Amino acid sequence: MKHSIVDLLIRPGAFFQDAMSKKESLTLPALVILAGGIAGAMYGYLIGDLTGQLLNGMMPGMGTIVTLSTVLGALIGTFIFWGIWTGVMYVFSFVFKGEGTFRRTLEFIGYGYLPQVFGTLITFVIALYYIPRIHVPLLSAAAAQNPDIVTGAVKALMHDPAMMELSQIAMIISMVFLLWSANIWIFGMQHARKLSPRDAALCVGIPVVLYILYMVYSITVM
Amino acid sequence: MKTVRLISLICLILLAGAMVGVVAADYTTPESIVAADKVYVSGATYDPAVFFPGDKGTLTVDVTNGNTVTGIVVNHASLSSDTLRTTSRPYDTSTSLGPAQKQSFVYSVTADGLDGTYFPTFSLSFRDADSLYYRAMVRIDDTPIELTILDKPDTFSQGKKKTIYAQVANPRENTVKNVILDVSGTGITATPSRVFVGNVVSGARIPVNFSVTADQATTLYLVLNYDNGDNPHTVNMDVPITFGVDKKQANPVISNVLVKSDAGTYHITGDVNNAGLEAANTVMVTALSPAVPQDPYKTYVVGALKPDDFGSFEVTFTATNTESIPLQLSYKDADGNVYTALQDVKIPVSGAAADAKSTGLPVIPIVAAIVVLAVFIGGWIIYLRKNKK
Repeated sequence: MKHSIVDLLIRPGAFFQDAMSKKESLTLPALVILAGGIAGAMYGYLIGDLTGQLLNGMMPGMGTIVTLSTVLGALIGTFIFWGIWTGVMYVFSFVFKGEGTFRRTLEFIGYGYLPQVFGTLITFVIALYYIPRIHVPLLSAAAAQNPDIVTGAVKALMHDPAMMELSQIAMIISMVFLLWSANIWIFGMQHARKLSPRDAALCVGIPVVLYILYMVYSITVM
Repeated sequence: MKTVRLISLICLILLAGAMVGVVAADYTTPESIVAADKVYVSGATYDPAVFFPGDKGTLTVDVTNGNTVTGIVVNHASLSSDTLRTTSRPYDTSTSLGPAQKQSFVYSVTADGLDGTYFPTFSLSFRDADSLYYRAMVRIDDTPIELTILDKPDTFSQGKKKTIYAQVANPRENTVKNVILDVSGTGITATPSRVFVGNVVSGARIPVNFSVTADQATTLYLVLNYDNGDNPHTVNMDVPITFGVDKKQANPVISNVLVKSDAGTYHITGDVNNAGLEAANTVMVTALSPAVPQDPYKTYVVGALKPDDFGSFEVTFTATNTESIPLQLSYKDADGNVYTALQDVKIPVSGAAADAKSTGLPVIPIVAAIVVLAVFIGGWIIYLRKNKK
């Protein structure tokens, strides 16, 4: 491969044009996704640990289960999302009469995940600063019998000033790096599905913009 | 001549000696007089023992016949004095006093004199002998018994019960009876309002405590009634009841306040110091509306705090749509009066309260999202147009 990872980030058109001449391979994209999954798992460990502290008073060991679930969820979820994003864009490209295999699309979408790995790592570092400042409510076993108290405790955690600040920063970082990924995906879809730049931009841009709008909505109703 | 004179002198001496023998033989002391000599006053008792000027009372004179075989007839018994007026009739009929018998003569008297010691004379005339005289000493003393306030609050508070510590003392030389203290005043509730003290012997001091609840600034009237014998006497005392802040009262102060929020429930911890000079009993801390007290510490009982003592407290509550809540501190004084004090405590917005705050949109993330999206979309539109040309 003539073009490096740096080309993928700043000159994705050239990178994918070169990649089209190669045999389809999911090894490197899977490693990128794995890196993203590990970064997500690290961030998920921090957040899961907070939730675990909240629930530990209800049942001993509950915190560990929650933390483990969050870590595994982040790790596996990244791979699942890889498939979902690819599926959505692949199906969308049929509107523009795209041609190309799903495997190639999966490969290029996987490459495009690279900026999000950096974004997740940055979020993780920022979280290390914010997490100690978050006050975690403690729930007793008796309090766990009352759903209102449990709901109130979760709300209290989510509305902790440090937690809210971290959530908003994480959202902005995630959004910026998702758009960077979207930029790569547009070039990827253009080559993988043989689309015009305009059709590829619509193919990627519409679901990404919708997803970002959903993220903004989520943060406003939090 | 000389011899004649000498003989005459001897004859005169002999004649005088003979005449003395004749007189002694004719005037031998009669038996009745001898018997009267053995009649004596065996006791004289005044009731009351010491008179106030003007007091009425009695004098009882006991006369005993000291003869073992001879009786004696008494004609008349009387009492005479300038300062102790006899109001009863004298004994003016004959009466017989048998051997070894005792007879009491009782006189009703009124003390007409001023302070001092007097000696009324009791006289008893015998039918067959002269009279018997006896001076029965009596004291007239105008000194009343003392009512003293030993301790009372510097000031009173409206509707608050306060204790007044009084003392009844008897500086007189005799016992006074039926001592009763009446407590009254306008707008005053006294408990008890009438205190029976009973007999107060000479030199005794008896504490008398009572509680006063005043609804207004007024005067407390203390009336001490007592009997000296059967003569009623009164001692009055006025005690001003003024409202104000008691300089010595307990003064619990909340400090070292720390607020935490757990699962929408606030925990406030802190210390209560008693900065007053009296003990604060049953000190309690609780949160008032808009706070809603919650278990486990809806109300925290700190207990009794002596002066300069302190205790810690913790209260738990929920609160919505507020940034501060009033913390109520209550305590009781020694009389059971309840005092309360309020202190506002700021609480951080969290939990349910944060819900209300979160209805405001997070402006910064939205603006950032719009800007980034606009840059991304705008950039691609420009890129596509250039690419088209």
